[in-house]
Amino acid sequence: MSERQKKTFVITRFDPDTDEVPKTESYEIEVEPYWKILDAINYIKDEVDPSLSHRWSCRMAVCGSCGMMVNGEPRLTCKDRLSGYGDTIEISPLSNFPVIRDLVVEMDGFMDKFNQVKPWIIRAKELAAEDGPMRQSPEELEEFKQFSMCINCMLCYSACPVVANEPEFLGPAAIALGHRYNIDSRDEGAAERNEVFRGEGTVFSCSYANECSEVCPKNVDPAAAVNQAKFNAVIDWATGLVISRDGKE
Amino acid sequence: MARPAHPHAMQPSRPGSTRTAPPQMPPRYPMGGRYRNYTLFDATGLVYLLVGFVALRIVWALGSGREAWQSMLNQLENPLYIAFHVLAFVSVVFVAVRFFSLFPKAQPPRIGPAKPPPAPVITAMLYGVWFGITAVMTFVLIGGNL
Amino acid sequence: MKTFLLRVEPLIWLLFGQGILIGTMLLTGWVLVVGILAPLGFFPNGMDYTRALDVASNPVSRLVLFALIALPLWKGAHHLRSLSIDLGGADRDTTVATTLYALAVVGTILAAIAVVRL
Repeated sequence: MSERQKKTFVITRFDPDTDEVPKTESYEIEVEPYWKILDAINYIKDEVDPSLSHRWSCRMAVCGSCGMMVNGEPRLTCKDRLSGYGDTIEISPLSNFPVIRDLVVEMDGFMDKFNQVKPWIIRAKELAAEDGPMRQSPEELEEFKQFSMCINCMLCYSACPVVANEPEFLGPAAIALGHRYNIDSRDEGAAERNEVFRGEGTVFSCSYANECSEVCPKNVDPAAAVNQAKFNAVIDWATGLVISRDGKE
Repeated sequence: MARPAHPHAMQPSRPGSTRTAPPQMPPRYPMGGRYRNYTLFDATGLVYLLVGFVALRIVWALGSGREAWQSMLNQLENPLYIAFHVLAFVSVVFVAVRFFSLFPKAQPPRIGPAKPPPAPVITAMLYGVWFGITAVMTFVLIGGNL
Repeated sequence: MKTFLLRVEPLIWLLFGQGILIGTMLLTGWVLVVGILAPLGFFPNGMDYTRALDVASNPVSRLVLFALIALPLWKGAHHLRSLSIDLGGADRDTTVATTLYALAVVGTILAAIAVVRL
């Protein structure tokens, strides 16, 4: 059968009660070749050092809880095979986020950003239940489907240089979600969201580093969404110059 | 070691109940891994700004008479100018290659009633137009008559 | 100023985008010949004063030269602004952006004058 192998994990630790700044701690453990990074961290937590804090849940790349920096790169640790790494692996909390403890980051700032893009279907006039379902063709679904596959793992925020430096920036996942509704054939809220998208720290703050798309574990391609949103916001702005929006609503 | 991010990066609107460690930038930023090409792409901004102003001087000289033009041509023969323009040429090609790969997916699935062509077609069109314009521009500038 | 910058953001982004797209397409041949080949002594006929003025003063050429000067300035200004933010300059952004865009505006006006007086 498979042979166990020794690997060293250099893990960033931070205890808000005692530590002024984060420090690192090394753990040498024997790993199974089929393990994911998360299996090793769970092993350390269960068998070596129960004081280690990290988030995880589903173990199948759906819940989006176990994002961490692995050798300086944001990764979904339940999806990331150990066999692809060398003998020493550095694990730290997601970049660009305040750290609550060890590998656990403060998520509330991320959640705050989502509400701003109104991520729900907006209708000029709500349909009555008797009107039946809103129909959508497979082609119409295909236009936004990719952008709706986000699992909120925050890796894109962790990779983005603009998120790091512009606190107002809505960021990749939130803008992608807003754009997903803007191009949904059932939605009528694009004008409202484009208003938001032209505000401070929104689509035009993106400088198209494309890092969000590089690190996305679900191939959502947020950079495509953000830049499509820029395009649409410009068209919307230009149309607004010619046709006044008053009286339309 | 990572540089600190903006101290307010990803801060919640209402502070949490415990003290947090400040956010750090991705450790590979700005010149490690994929970030290098992105940083260089932004940095070509300086080259473009300078090329624009140099082109302005050249066209201005052309409009200022024969002597001004000749003096401009002499200046352009300075090795520093030539070195700068070599850098500018490399920058322009670098910008084209990176931008042409990022441009197609930035097109919305539909623009009004129109649907943009598939990404490979857009890329091919971009390269086609780029080569075409460059060929015409070069031909005219080396003395060809259209 | 910050509010003004926000309001004109779509326009600036449009100019920036055209700076990359059209600017790059026009600059490749320009930099190659005017900046490198001609100064090295190749194709002396192309840069002859009478011939250059004749070609450049054609209405289409004037438009091309205007775009070739002005659009790269917007690409340059906008990219340097985003570089400044990424290197930790969000708090100085309004000053940096205003300075860079002012440079691009001045350059654009001068470019228009330069091609008109050909």
